[in-house]
Amino acid sequence: MSEGAADEDSGLAAERTALAWTRTALSFGAVGGVIARTHAIIGVIVIGIAPVIWQLGRLAAGRAPPDQTTRRTRLITATILLVAVIALIVASFGKATPLRVSE
Amino acid sequence: MLRGDRGTVWDSGRVESQQESEPDVRFTFANERTFLAWSRTALALIVAGLGVVQLFPPFPGVPWGRHVVGVPLIVLGAVIAVVAYGEWGRNQHALRRGDPLPRSVLPTTLAVVIAIMAVLSAVVLLLSAVR
Repeated sequence: MSEGAADEDSGLAAERTALAWTRTALSFGAVGGVIARTHAIIGVIVIGIAPVIWQLGRLAAGRAPPDQTTRRTRLITATILLVAVIALIVASFGKATPLRVSE
Repeated sequence: MLRGDRGTVWDSGRVESQQESEPDVRFTFANERTFLAWSRTALALIVAGLGVVQLFPPFPGVPWGRHVVGVPLIVLGAVIAVVAYGEWGRNQHALRRGDPLPRSVLPTTLAVVIAIMAVLSAVVLLLSAVR
């Protein structure tokens, strides 16, 4: 394989990875959206995580050193755990506002 | 590029006998995308659990029904996030050493818990129908 072809391919791999980060950021937005339906402030805070994750993804495209990748994956895991804890608290103690159903 | 004596974060206590080398970036990126895909799965499970508890109308006659279905989904999301991080580290380590990739426990975990959740949901629905 020529040098040029290898570079091109790893470039696409970097782009695919950046897009995967974008999707992950959107997922955080979706979680925030559902929380915001019942708890506006907490929901908006969780939605606020999304642009941070998106920014991390843009850094991912620029071949970060391995140590930074470790830090990023650990940050994502910690953030998901935090969101899960928030979700558990909201689910256990928050007042539910069910969607209207016709009788 | 060889990094023979460079300990990694997840095995800093282990003896470094084998030589490690920086893997092809494409493999590193692929491993990262796999981790991200599991992270999204975890977030989707959390949002599903939240939705069941917060947005669904209560099951008639089964007041605890929504929590029984929703809370395990949120917990599964947290577990998958942590396990995915561990597997990302193990895979990265194997790539550095040129070892075969370790087996992932995530597909089995996800399949088993989803099957259990399906049975649980069916039980709640049946109880709700009977009462």
